[in-house]
Amino acid sequence: MPTLPTTISTNAGLLLRYLPAVLAVGLIAYAIVAGGHFVTLAGFALIYAVFVTGLNIFMGYAGQASFGQNAFAAIGGYASAVLTATYGWPPIPALIVGAAGAALCAVVIGYPTLRLRGHYLAMATLAIGLIVYEVTVQWQSVTQGYMGISGIPPLGIGSWEVTSDRAQLIMLSIVVTLCMASAWLIRNSRFGRAIVALSGSEDAARALGVDVARYKLAAFVVSAVYASLAGSLFVHIVGFVSPEVFGMHMVILGFTMLYVGGIGTITGPLVGAIVINLLPETFRGLKDYQDLVYGAALILLLIYAPGGLASLGNALKRRPSTPIPATAPKGARP
Amino acid sequence: MKTVRVLSIATSLAAAAAFTTAAQAQEVYKIGVSAGLTGYAAAVDRAWRDGLEVAVEYVNSKGGIMGRKVQLIVEDNKSEPQEAVTVYRKMIGSDKVDIFISGCVSAGNFAAAPFVTRAQIPMMLCSILPPQPDQVKWAFSFLAPPRFEVETRYAYLKDKTQIRKVGVLHDPSPYANLQKDIAVKSAANFGIEVPVVEQYKTDDADFSPQLSKMNAAGAKAVMKIGLGGSTLTVAKNIKQLGQDTLLLGSVDDLAVFKPAGETLGPQFLFVAAPAQIYDALPDGALKQEIGRFLPLWRAKQGDRDPFWAGKAWDALMVTIAAIERAKSFEGPKVRDAVETISAFQGTGGVYNFSPTVHQGITENPFFLATMVGGKVQVK
Repeated sequence: MPTLPTTISTNAGLLLRYLPAVLAVGLIAYAIVAGGHFVTLAGFALIYAVFVTGLNIFMGYAGQASFGQNAFAAIGGYASAVLTATYGWPPIPALIVGAAGAALCAVVIGYPTLRLRGHYLAMATLAIGLIVYEVTVQWQSVTQGYMGISGIPPLGIGSWEVTSDRAQLIMLSIVVTLCMASAWLIRNSRFGRAIVALSGSEDAARALGVDVARYKLAAFVVSAVYASLAGSLFVHIVGFVSPEVFGMHMVILGFTMLYVGGIGTITGPLVGAIVINLLPETFRGLKDYQDLVYGAALILLLIYAPGGLASLGNALKRRPSTPIPATAPKGARP
Repeated sequence: MKTVRVLSIATSLAAAAAFTTAAQAQEVYKIGVSAGLTGYAAAVDRAWRDGLEVAVEYVNSKGGIMGRKVQLIVEDNKSEPQEAVTVYRKMIGSDKVDIFISGCVSAGNFAAAPFVTRAQIPMMLCSILPPQPDQVKWAFSFLAPPRFEVETRYAYLKDKTQIRKVGVLHDPSPYANLQKDIAVKSAANFGIEVPVVEQYKTDDADFSPQLSKMNAAGAKAVMKIGLGGSTLTVAKNIKQLGQDTLLLGSVDDLAVFKPAGETLGPQFLFVAAPAQIYDALPDGALKQEIGRFLPLWRAKQGDRDPFWAGKAWDALMVTIAAIERAKSFEGPKVRDAVETISAFQGTGGVYNFSPTVHQGITENPFFLATMVGGKVQVK
């Protein structure tokens, strides 16, 4: 992508732009090599990276607010858990059924709610998350309520199962890579440009011929499928699921990861997921002060990198010394 | 020259031997504790952690376990399953703990159980046992079976009152759900009917609708199943509604029972654990064991309720007994030895473990009590 004539990136800016993503990949590679409980942290970070990548499509690209993504993670997670542990299905078909169920729910729920805007949409999606949480608690004949479902098999095909920690981490790394690649393809597709347009102004997008309601709904469904995939991955990696797994803390964590990593960027979800998973671990030695220092670190991050870590490079961009030309230079694309 | 060389080798060997001996002397027995120090289980799990600290201090002052000092590694699981998996795996992988004596967050213990089982580390739990048989093999519960709390209340109603209709009010936790099911199924054995069963959330601020429904159905007693401040809220609601209903609380902290007793007076009864009624206990092994723990606890914690802390004490004492019986610190051998421990007197009752029984308390240790003038009185 050519550098816009209005800004010039410095070398330091370029370095900073890619540094968080390179560090994130480096940390995952370290976890694969080092093993130990670092693998667990890296595994959870990668699962959340999938979840936040979906959230990023709906919030970062389409500019909408959803506080109910945990609902779709719960649908995917419980579909995988119930179908494999209770009915003996293989994991992959169960995962696909979960994703299809989440997509269907997103259509049914999204059709009426996505007519709302701003705070009203946020409140409606929050309600979806709370309703699904209550269903997982109360529908005990299927979900076992707070007792949870255990004995969920690891992912695999046929008799081959991904059981070792390192193999699971490599598998998660591949899934995250595919998710990020698909997010990049979406962002650069006709669909991606349409949802980015409606994030700027729904009226302007409509005037340009974008079917706002349809594209919003499509973005919502796509993000629900990502969330469902994350939910399924979680239950197969841990082997257990209970309602608390998909509670409000999942939404809060997802939002924090999205903003710390960089909303609207491709690598931001991965960077955010890794930083937010590792930060508390870094401060674990502080015991009772762990949460306090973690909170302070987050505030500092958001003050000094308001666009997220993945957009740090933009902070070092400088304005050109020459005035901006009145007309676009020859060959420049609008 | 040869003499010098021999002397230097001898000195080196002596130094190496001394170093090895010092290293062995410093060897510790590591106990991992996954506890909900924050979140919904904080009240119980903090007491569990504090009880363990008292027990470890006591054991170390007596020279440790078979010459090894005990080291406690406590991690906060925030009462969340995901966090529990993280801290369990940290303690397995990085801290290399020898055993877990973990708190009451059932979902957290269930979520971590596959990893603990794979690592072949025994788990002594404050929670109920995980559901998978291969995981139960490595887990031992110090919680009394849920039927004991139910039976204590039903027996009182049957023997001491004319009340034959009871409403059941429970929270959605696994332990409360088990009690609720038993309460519904076993009521007929005591000639009691349960016309209404209502579930509440732990943060509910008003129970008037549920209480009115129970009253309308003819229930003259409410069996409340669940921990925390909701018991006090129920007591206040009963008083506000002017009902003469009995409120029968489940095992909980005395800090909850005292204000509930002040609100409802003799209408409030609760299931009390032996450590909560120490003064009223007859002389015997139970009183003797609680008497061993209680002064140490009170020296550090004053009047704080000793019940959950006492359970943690029991868990460590059973662990020590198993290690001494196995003459080994190895996880599989300690696990096997725990299964042979029976008639073990703890502060929470008598523990009878076996290959088929991993929930050690097999005889009902509870009493029904009420608060009179801020003091616990057995009914």
